[in-house]
Amino acid sequence: MTTRPMIELKDVQKYYGDYHALRGITADIRAGEFFSLLGPSGCGKTTLLRTIAGFEDITSGVVMIDGKDMEGVAANQRPTNMVFQSYAIFPHLTVEQNVAFGLRKDPRTKEEKAKAVDEALQMVGLKGFGKRAAHALSGGQRQRVALARALILKPKVLLLDEPLSALDKKMRENMQVELIRLQRQVGITFILVTHDQEEALVMSDRIAVMFDGEIAQLDDPETLYRLPKSRRVADFIGHMNFLPAKVVDEANGEIDVDVQGLGRCHINAKQAPGTNTGGEASIGFRPETLTILYEGQSASDRETTGSVEEVVYYGDMTYYDVKLDGVADPVRLSMRNVPGRPVLDRGTKTRVAWSPSALVLFR
Amino acid sequence: MKPSGKGLWLYAIVYLAFLYAPILLLPLFAFNDGTIIAFPLKGFTLHWFEVMAEKDQLHIAVKNSLIVASASAVMSTILAIFAARASTRYDFKGKGAIIGLIMLPLVLPEMIVAMALLVVVLQVFGDGALGLFSMIAGHSLICTPFAIAILSGAFQSLDKSLEEAAYDLGEDRISAFRLVILPLVLPGIISSLLISFTISMDEFIIANFLGGTQQTLPVYIYSSLRFPKEIPVIMAVATGLVAVSICLLIIAEYFRRRGVAKTGGKDSGGFL
Ligand SMILES: Nc1ncnc2c1ncn2[C@@H]1O[C@H](COP(=O)(O)OP(=O)(O)OP(=O)(O)O)[C@@H](O)[C@H]1O
Ligand SMILES: [Mg+2]
Repeated sequence: MTTRPMIELKDVQKYYGDYHALRGITADIRAGEFFSLLGPSGCGKTTLLRTIAGFEDITSGVVMIDGKDMEGVAANQRPTNMVFQSYAIFPHLTVEQNVAFGLRKDPRTKEEKAKAVDEALQMVGLKGFGKRAAHALSGGQRQRVALARALILKPKVLLLDEPLSALDKKMRENMQVELIRLQRQVGITFILVTHDQEEALVMSDRIAVMFDGEIAQLDDPETLYRLPKSRRVADFIGHMNFLPAKVVDEANGEIDVDVQGLGRCHINAKQAPGTNTGGEASIGFRPETLTILYEGQSASDRETTGSVEEVVYYGDMTYYDVKLDGVADPVRLSMRNVPGRPVLDRGTKTRVAWSPSALVLFR
Repeated sequence: MKPSGKGLWLYAIVYLAFLYAPILLLPLFAFNDGTIIAFPLKGFTLHWFEVMAEKDQLHIAVKNSLIVASASAVMSTILAIFAARASTRYDFKGKGAIIGLIMLPLVLPEMIVAMALLVVVLQVFGDGALGLFSMIAGHSLICTPFAIAILSGAFQSLDKSLEEAAYDLGEDRISAFRLVILPLVLPGIISSLLISFTISMDEFIIANFLGGTQQTLPVYIYSSLRFPKEIPVIMAVATGLVAVSICLLIIAEYFRRRGVAKTGGKDSGGFL
């Protein structure tokens, strides 16, 4: 069964004067999914979110929400609600009055509304805070009030613009988990804007990575991490090592590549997810796909040699910069610190295990 | 920083004495039982206040002043709300020039403004038009820049997304303004009303030029000063004014502090 997407964006273009902020955004966002817009500062994430909310007019293209064209539909008429980056809590009202703000034109009785407010506050973990003055809340509490205020209206889509960026690390991690829980509980489509790749990976069902007003890749977190379509996406999400490579042969869904330092190997055509730009080819791999071989261990697939140039100890993990023989620049690899696996010193000669199945080809 | 050294303290005290001591002389002579403004003091009396209570012309002047000051305060504050909102929230062509022109009376010699207005009123409407209305118009003109300066600050410190949030939650532009913006700039509006009221209240030049047969309090005081026997009565009037001013200032500061506390902002100084 194919269900209609909750939001359809078709070639959305947006100019601010001469500045081309959105350059043809096309995407479908499914009903009930946790969708993230991820990208560096200034790439147009907020602009796209505000376009969906109805705060910005688009220059051309189509925005459909739940099958309806949103052209000419003002923000206060759209089935979307927004959690602002600054939370935009009304400081002159109490928590209760803030949450009930959107119910002003609701035909329900006073008692029913009060009950809805209580439920909303309970949902975000602010039970009993109703009578507090909104300006006397902490950052995390404001965030929850903003969530309750938006969710009480049961929008079809909840838009969140970097809602966690103002919180400290611990609080942010707690709120990430809570937001996921909340989203599953209410089943509303969430669209989250973030420039934090970790946050996007942790929270999202699917992620659109944006650069310069365009979507560079739209995939689920695992695909995005394992098979990035371009070096730029690969670099933005986590760390990726790159080695110069040459495509020797390509046939029957198999690609034969010659990788500097690693030698000739076969990879599956699926390991080249990006389009062929005809430029110089390179092979990428994540730090955790290379493994240091200790005395007596042998590689299950292929191995090569090198020497440790830098050691960064993180407690649970150790990062090594290893200069592979025949390669100019060191590559980064990560090892989990488990008993029987001593941390190597700088300058140690070592053997490294790798597998062609973990490589990604960019060309 | 803490001012250190005796010299600075002395300077501060002399400065304050120079500023306020003359004002302290007003009540002193208002309660002095003598017609001449000179030391030594003669004795305590409430006579001058009794005389004051019987002067019809003075009562009319006070009434005129209250009418003109209230109307000018309301007029200039309403105009300033529109101007401050437009200048802080929207970008339009010639914005700088327009705001500059509105603020111009702040630095223009009042004499010039008053003469120009007098000429216009006489030429266009004739001298029958001089009176309360023309004074209100003139005072609104000079009060508006002050009101804008105060209200721009109030509007500027508002987070733009507050209004958008209200809009997003289903309100239209007008109700979003009424429910969110207005309550938050209310302390600014009250300040603006009080400042404009005060400015209009003690304005002399425009009131003198445009008042026609209607006198405001400053004009009345000025014209009475020519008669030496009136001077102790004027002292009594002035004493009353000082008392009222202090009350107004306290009220203004009370509202300002309450506004700051209510929105949880930082107290960044004020009148007091
Ligand atoms: N009202 C505006 N007028 C002109 N240019 C604008 C306007 N709003 C945004 N821009 C420009 O559009 C581009 C995209 O802005 P946007 O706010 O969408 O970026 P963003 O991806 O949300 O970045 P950040 O992570 O810094 O919030 C930026 O270069 C910005 O300068
Ligand atoms: Mg942004």
